[in-house]
Parts: sequence; C-alpha cells; structure tokens
Amino acid sequence: MERVEKLAEQIFEDYKDYGVDRKEIVEKLRKLLIEFRVPENEALRTIRNYIIREYGAPATIRREKITKIEEIKEPNKWVTVKAKAIQLWESSSPSIAQVGLIGDETGYIRFLVWTKAKKPPVEEGKSYIFRNVVVDDFGGVLRLNVTKISEIEEIDEDIKVKPPEDVSEEVEVVGALVAIQQNSGLIQRCGVEGCNRVIKMGKCPEHGKTKPNDDLRIKGVLDDGYRTYEVIINEEGVKALTDIDLEKAKKIAEETLDRNAVLIELKKMLLGKYLRVVGTATPRYLIARHVELFRPDIRKEIEKVRTLLEEV
Amino acid sequence: MTTVFLKREVARRVFAKELVSSTYTIRDESEKSPLYVLTPLGLKCNRVFIIGVLTEKEERGEDGNIYRIRVIDQTGSFIGYVGKYQPEAYEALEDIDTLTLVALTAKVRVFEGETGKFVTLRPETISIADPESRDYWVMETAVQTLERIREMEKGESETAKLAMEVYNTNLEEYKRVVKEAVERVMEDYGEFDVEEEMLEEEEDEELELDEDEDLSFEEEEIDLTELLKD
Repeated sequence: MERVEKLAEQIFEDYKDYGVDRKEIVEKLRKLLIEFRVPENEALRTIRNYIIREYGAPATIRREKITKIEEIKEPNKWVTVKAKAIQLWESSSPSIAQVGLIGDETGYIRFLVWTKAKKPPVEEGKSYIFRNVVVDDFGGVLRLNVTKISEIEEIDEDIKVKPPEDVSEEVEVVGALVAIQQNSGLIQRCGVEGCNRVIKMGKCPEHGKTKPNDDLRIKGVLDDGYRTYEVIINEEGVKALTDIDLEKAKKIAEETLDRNAVLIELKKMLLGKYLRVVGTATPRYLIARHVELFRPDIRKEIEKVRTLLEEV
Repeated sequence: MTTVFLKREVARRVFAKELVSSTYTIRDESEKSPLYVLTPLGLKCNRVFIIGVLTEKEERGEDGNIYRIRVIDQTGSFIGYVGKYQPEAYEALEDIDTLTLVALTAKVRVFEGETGKFVTLRPETISIADPESRDYWVMETAVQTLERIREMEKGESETAKLAMEVYNTNLEEYKRVVKEAVERVMEDYGEFDVEEEMLEEEEDEELELDEDEDLSFEEEEIDLTELLKD
C-alpha cells in the first residue's frame, strides 16, 4: 500500500503541471498492482501512457533537480536553481551581457550571463528557473554562469528570498569615494534602548521624538570603475581617515553653529580619494571594519599594465 | 517588501583621448535607461571618474554663473561645465585655482553643435588630488582601457562590434596612447629594471610622437603638471 502511494507521488510530481488528479493515479495504480498483480514497471508505463493520451503531456518528462543556493559550495558543478533576480550590476566587460545577484529562500549568489549565450535579459524583481548553469570561482567568490546551453525561464511564482541582513561576505575593496550622502557627518540616533535608528527631520522613524545620541559616520559610494559599493564608515573609520572623531565633530558644529559643517568638511577631505576598505558586504551595503586612504604600489600597477600590454 | 535595490551608474575610467573621440549615443532596451556614450573602444559610459590638471576655469553664462573648465590627463583634455545646479561641485570649484591636480566625478553629456557632436562633462564632485592618486588613476585607467582593447580585438560583444562599425577604431593608435600615458608616469618611479628591448621600443615611440601633430598640443600641456610638482 505504501509502495503504491510512493509510486503515485512520483508520477504526480512529474505530471502535476498538466492537471492530473492525484487520486485518480493512486486508484489506477492500486488496481494494476494489487488487483491485477502486474509488474511495477508495466504498471507505471500504463499510467504514463494514459496521462500522455488523456492530458496531452509530453512523452518524455524532464525531471529536474532544483539546487538550493546554500547547497552550492564548489566550482565546476552544473546546477539548476529557482531564484529571484535581486540586483543587476554594470557589466564590467562587453563579453558579459548581465551580471548581478540572485537569491532564493536559502541564500544569495552572483550570476552572470555571457553575451555569447544570447539570452533575453533578466529583470530585477522577477523570478526564474536557471537551468544548466555552471558554478565558477571568481577571486574566491562563487558565481553562476549562464552559457549558451543554459536556459532561463521566467516563472509566475514570487520567490521569497532570505532577508539580506542574514547574508554577508568578507571583502576588500579599493575604489574612489565618488559620493558622500546627505545623511552623513554628525548625525543623531534614536536614544531608545536597542533602537539606534538615524533621526530624520528630528524624528526616529520608529519612536518619533526621542532623546537622541550624537554619532559620526559616512554613508557614501565607493567605485572601482567596474561596480559601485554603498559603503558605511563608522566613527572609528572616519577618525582613521580624517583625524576627526565625535568630540572634534561636535566642536566643529558648536564653533560654526552648524551641524552640517562637519559633512562639508568630510566631503572636502575625502571626496575623490581612493580608499581601501576591508569589511562585510551585504547585498546592499559594504560595512567597513577597517578603512584607510589607499597607498598604491605604483610599481606593481606598472607591472600589471605591462603584462596586459604584451597580451593585446 | 520587495528586495530590489537602486542601481547607480558606475564611474568609468577613461582617458580623454577615448572619451572626447566619442560621438555615438545609445540607450538600453529598458524604458528608464539613461543615455550612454559609446566610446571608440566599445564602452557604454554615462559617468566618469577622472584625475587630471585643472588648466582653465572661466565664468560663462549670462550672469557668469557657470564655470567652463578644462581638465587635462596624459592623453588630452576634457571640457566641463559646472553650474549652480550642481552646488557641491560649484562651491568646491570656487576654492580651487587653475594648475591644480583635481579629482572629479562627472556625468557625460553629448552636445550637438554645428560642426558635429562633442562630449562634455557635468561634474558632480570636484576636489583637490595628490600626485600619487593621479598615478594610480593613470594605471587603473590604462588597465581598463587595455581590457577594452582586448575585447575589441576579439570583436565578439555587441558593443565592440557596434563601436568598430561606427568608428572603425584604430586599435594600434589607442595602444600607443596608453603606452605613452603609462611611460610618462613610469619616469617618476625610476623604472630601471625594464628590459632593454622595451627601452628601445619606447625610444622609437617617442621619436614618432614628436612628429604627431595631434598629440603635440597635449605634450605641451603635460609639461604644466611637471611644473606643479616643485
């Protein structure tokens, strides 16, 4: 009896998209196996043929194994994943049509679509099945490669992705600080225990008017010419870069009677500077753990250029 | 809540020679696509990050409330317009004298004049830069330019094919420009361990250069940066 249920389930899984009735399959199978005592493979074939005839299902069913993103741990494996396109980035090279981040309920992974694959573009926020994509290792980061033999099928299902705060990776980035956002400098945070949200227009978005605490931070954009990172630098980082700590920042604000003067000063000192940031990258932010003004080794860079010059 | 984030255009690293030679503009298929300039090396570019020398800063416009600036790099010059609608860049620029090394982040604009299209910049940020950062900028821009040249040689990507069709790009010329830009920086780092062969090649290149009218102008301008170092 259990065996009947199990076999019926298998068939149902294969053909459920064609509107077959689970009960009908169980009954037919039971009849064949228990009443008529036919061999299992004959019984299965009979039912499959019946479904193909009655429901117009294709003669061969592709049984696909969907891999969860958290299960992808090593390169050179071919997988099929069901995931949502979270974010698309600028392609760093004309041979790459699209590059970005996809996610499912278990995690996130980078993906890239080679121009040669000639696939219709993936759109942010939509869900897809990525069939026959190959995992590679790019500087320690795993990526899914969509190649000519891969398939991308858009699906109606809205895949729930794991909250971005739960996913992170350690990275080192060297880039130019090309923007510092307005909510940087000497800011105020909500004083309610455990809240710490940034006060906007005198109010905490959660608790309204509260007794605020001062803080110093930079929220900016780091750009290496290939992609951008929204970087968050805390007081310690700001001090390492500019020698301005929270006390000094408060003093600047008091002397100028303008809290904004701190932001202006930080912009003057840091915009257009190359920074080296070591920190935690979430899909949204790069949170700096260590930050410094980048001291380039120009000789090393010259070597890099020379190697490339020989190649082209 | 949908987990989708805003995309910011990357600030490309492009030498003046490549950017100001661009005349062709494209948009992506999506409706909200910004306007990109397609460079002769197949780069789609909407924003740039540049480090160079501010050599001109003139007040323009009816009320004199627009600055026209010229910033030169190792290969040529960029023209930019900074108005009060970009208050951050405008205010910063007021305090910066000409003949100063500057770093700027700028949007790329294409103007259609009577004699044809030309590229200008609309700076978003401008700040004083140091020679070391300038050298690094030259190197990373060289690397990224060479990567584009390699893609052009392969000729596989759509943008590379389109760029070749539009500009019939002379890749050798761009290789030479990159090489010269890098060599100028190398001089400061006493690159004595270069192979002899390469040195000879470099000398040949320099001789050729002197006869090159297109570049002689920039050569003069470059001397200004040398003055700055003292």
